Amino acid sequence: MADLMLFLPETICLLGALMLFAAQVVGVRYRVVWVLAMLAGALALAASVWTWPLSGEPFYPGIYHVGFFSQFVKTIIAGGFVFVAAISSRPQTVREEAWAELPMFLLLATTGMMMLASAMELVTLYISMELAAYPVYVAVALHRNHDFRGESAVKYMLQGMVASAVTLYGMTFIFGLSGSTYGTDIFLQLDALAGQPLFWLAAVLVLAGFLFKLAAFPFHFWAPDTYQTAPHEVVTFVATASKVAAIAVLCRIAALVAPAGLDAPLLTTVLMWMSVGAMTLGNLAALRQGDLKRLLGYSAVAHAGYVLIGIQTLSATGLTAALFYAIGYAAMSALCFLVVVEVGRDDDLVPIESLAGLHQRAPLLAATLLIGLFGLIGLPPTVGFIGKWFLFSAAIEQGQFVLVLVAAINSAVALYYYLLVIRQAYLVEPVRAAPLHTGMVTLLVAGATTGLVVAMGIVPGWFWTKSVEAVAALM
Amino acid sequence: MSYLDAHLLTILLLLPVAGLAIVAAIPAGNDGLVKKAAAGISGAVLLLSIRLWFRFDAGSSELQFVERVPWLPDSGINYIVGVDGLSLPMVLLTGLVFFTGVITMWELTSRVKEYFAFTMALVAGVIGVFIAQDLFFFFLFYELAVLPMYLLIGIWGSTRKEYAAMKLTLYLLAGSALLFPALIGLAHYSGLDTFDMTRLADVTGDWGGKSVLLFVLIWLGFGVLAGLFPFHTWSPVGHVAAPTAVSMLHAGVLMKLGAYGILRVGYTILPEAVVQVAPYMAVLAVCNILYGAFVALGQTDLKYVIGYSSVSHMGVVMLGLATMTSAGISGAVFQMFAHGVMTALFFSTVGFIYDRSHSKTIADFGGLGSQMPRAVSIFIIAGLCGAGVPGLASFWAELLVFMAALKTYPVMGVAIIVGLVLTAIYVLRVFSMAFFGPVNDKWDGLRAADLQGWQILPRAILVAVLLFFGFFPRVLLDVIDGTTTHMLQVF
Repeated sequence: MADLMLFLPETICLLGALMLFAAQVVGVRYRVVWVLAMLAGALALAASVWTWPLSGEPFYPGIYHVGFFSQFVKTIIAGGFVFVAAISSRPQTVREEAWAELPMFLLLATTGMMMLASAMELVTLYISMELAAYPVYVAVALHRNHDFRGESAVKYMLQGMVASAVTLYGMTFIFGLSGSTYGTDIFLQLDALAGQPLFWLAAVLVLAGFLFKLAAFPFHFWAPDTYQTAPHEVVTFVATASKVAAIAVLCRIAALVAPAGLDAPLLTTVLMWMSVGAMTLGNLAALRQGDLKRLLGYSAVAHAGYVLIGIQTLSATGLTAALFYAIGYAAMSALCFLVVVEVGRDDDLVPIESLAGLHQRAPLLAATLLIGLFGLIGLPPTVGFIGKWFLFSAAIEQGQFVLVLVAAINSAVALYYYLLVIRQAYLVEPVRAAPLHTGMVTLLVAGATTGLVVAMGIVPGWFWTKSVEAVAALM
Repeated sequence: MSYLDAHLLTILLLLPVAGLAIVAAIPAGNDGLVKKAAAGISGAVLLLSIRLWFRFDAGSSELQFVERVPWLPDSGINYIVGVDGLSLPMVLLTGLVFFTGVITMWELTSRVKEYFAFTMALVAGVIGVFIAQDLFFFFLFYELAVLPMYLLIGIWGSTRKEYAAMKLTLYLLAGSALLFPALIGLAHYSGLDTFDMTRLADVTGDWGGKSVLLFVLIWLGFGVLAGLFPFHTWSPVGHVAAPTAVSMLHAGVLMKLGAYGILRVGYTILPEAVVQVAPYMAVLAVCNILYGAFVALGQTDLKYVIGYSSVSHMGVVMLGLATMTSAGISGAVFQMFAHGVMTALFFSTVGFIYDRSHSKTIADFGGLGSQMPRAVSIFIIAGLCGAGVPGLASFWAELLVFMAALKTYPVMGVAIIVGLVLTAIYVLRVFSMAFFGPVNDKWDGLRAADLQGWQILPRAILVAVLLFFGFFPRVLLDVIDGTTTHMLQVF
């Protein structure tokens, strides 16, 4: 029974997915499915919060660890699902007959992501990763436009499978070297393993699958295409919950090898260059994008680079900063995608020009977008500013002055394309004059998420303390 | 001390934040109420900054009105605000320009609510920078002040507004990119892991051998906003494009943020690096003075003349800093204040003339002096102040800076005298070509549109301030000197 309590958030997600499946078989109206999905998400969110004080290893020892880190991450992931469910009241870009399936697939993926946050054993980690991935592959392919289905789904799925194969390949090396798939066993042998370059190569390979999810360079090729051509709601999920799950796993693995990692700089060097590559490539490529979702795709690549700054320090401060930034980033990009969903409701593609005159058509949405973009640029009073401050502080603590300079210059470059988006929303007169009506639920989550982005930016104390506690539970 | 005085700085900071909320809460279409709310808030800011001035003890070199609240103590971040002789004049300047700017924009009709909301955000950032004594908050407010600029110029501006807004914002954020590692580096290399500026100022270590690098980053990073040559090109373009009150705020107050940042962060924390870098600062400052004046001489657009004169005058500020003497630095702070008031006056008047004539071409005006005598007189007062005529505030500022500079850098002194002459020429050129030339009949219709009634109020306030400090410079200098003489002990 105690085990079940520890597993409560995941159980709720699974049952919720089953319920949604049943609802869809029975053929209830989408409106009902939508409400059920939000309810299931809210329950999972509440259960995650409720399990904060718990810790233990349900079912089998050494495989699945429940602690403050995992439950905190699960809370954020559940929050991400609730957000996506709430803005999916009319997922127009999804084939109409598949509407009811969308929340089910996303909830299943949420289950997988939650399990990722707890997995302590390589095979469990791999299975959770696939559980988190496959439903999203399907959801990406639910687009109403046949051409888009092919493009986004094939790219995302093929590259995702290659990345997960690489992860599996890396796991085999680790198993070969250590004779175990248990994280704790590997940790105990760390001194012996650290001397072997193959171990570090394997660690990088294992990270590949998660770097793919994070869209970090050089695993980013799917991001712009999938962002552009997948249904808006699904991209929102990929851009928020999925990123948090990936960062959580990166944090866990980094914490696992941290004691030896600084003496064997292969891993940190590789991660640092990936970070520089992701920031630079993401920002430069985004400069020339005309499609809003594609632009946000490249911006996601750049932000993966910023997060990696924290992770490559392999220090408690760095991982805390990465986790803190992950929450903030999820909230900021959620705000941007909320506007994408509303503005591009009837369109397959969302060119930047479709935002023209948003300040007049929907002042609240325009303000939401403004706050979200302020965050992505890294300006106060949003979490984007303080999040970067923490990441940069962690790097400077390790003496990486130049890396921080590169990252800061990157943020200045990025300003240009974010301003182009703001320009459309605020400076340009509307092309379509009709006011844009936004549902109550959407406005509510927009308000709550904006509040989160600003609150974390101005009074970060509570969130920072919780992130510190979470990472402390990890190290 | 009363509650109000004990929390005066935080209240000053929160007033525009509250203003933002109030303006945002007023239903659309209620423009009159928005303007009244903005006037109320900005008036309150001005009154409180005057109260701050009178409650300030000029005899002390310590920070005053200090408030400390732990924010993220584990990360070395605390909310610390306080003012000394460097920041007090800047707070007063902000109050002055904010209030007069709001009144100047009384005729605004398009997107009024958004305009005042963004202005409030901007002013909150500006006040924050001037009172923050913790590097984290200092930089937070600094960044907060940058972005509303884009919208303010891009939406309500004129003449290539989108280009100007984009250029300005990109330049300023590029400057911030240099500041980011430098400011965090200060906390780290001090070995204290704190962002408390007072504590950092006491550090006399070698900053991990990085003190010069850190100072150069701080100098260039803040220098961009101060219009430092050769990173000044955003400034004339931006000031020309911006709507009247935004030019006032930007040239009047925001450029001072840059110079203030160099002084507050660079000079108080890294004095040992200043000694090594100061000669280079002086060279660039002289470039600013001469280049700005030369280019101002050749402009055909009235607003551009003022834009380039700002580049030149900010050079005076930076030259004063580069002298590393008490007189020079006091002069620089005096100049920041005087130039802020003067340039606000310039832009408020040019904006007024432009709004009515829709022309900024100097030669086109001919003899506007007889058609709009009041507006032109006010412009002339600002112009004379720019030329450093005695009786107006800038005279003392420039005198102090130039005397200090001649002592420290005798060779460059010659260039400075050339700069003075050039300034007089470009100011007089504008007077003769635009105001006292042959009367152009085209503007006869403007006779009735000259400044009247309440429109005179904001300009009169600014003129009065220039005159007051022109005749009683000691009132301002006493406040500044208390801090600068103390600062100099470390050089």
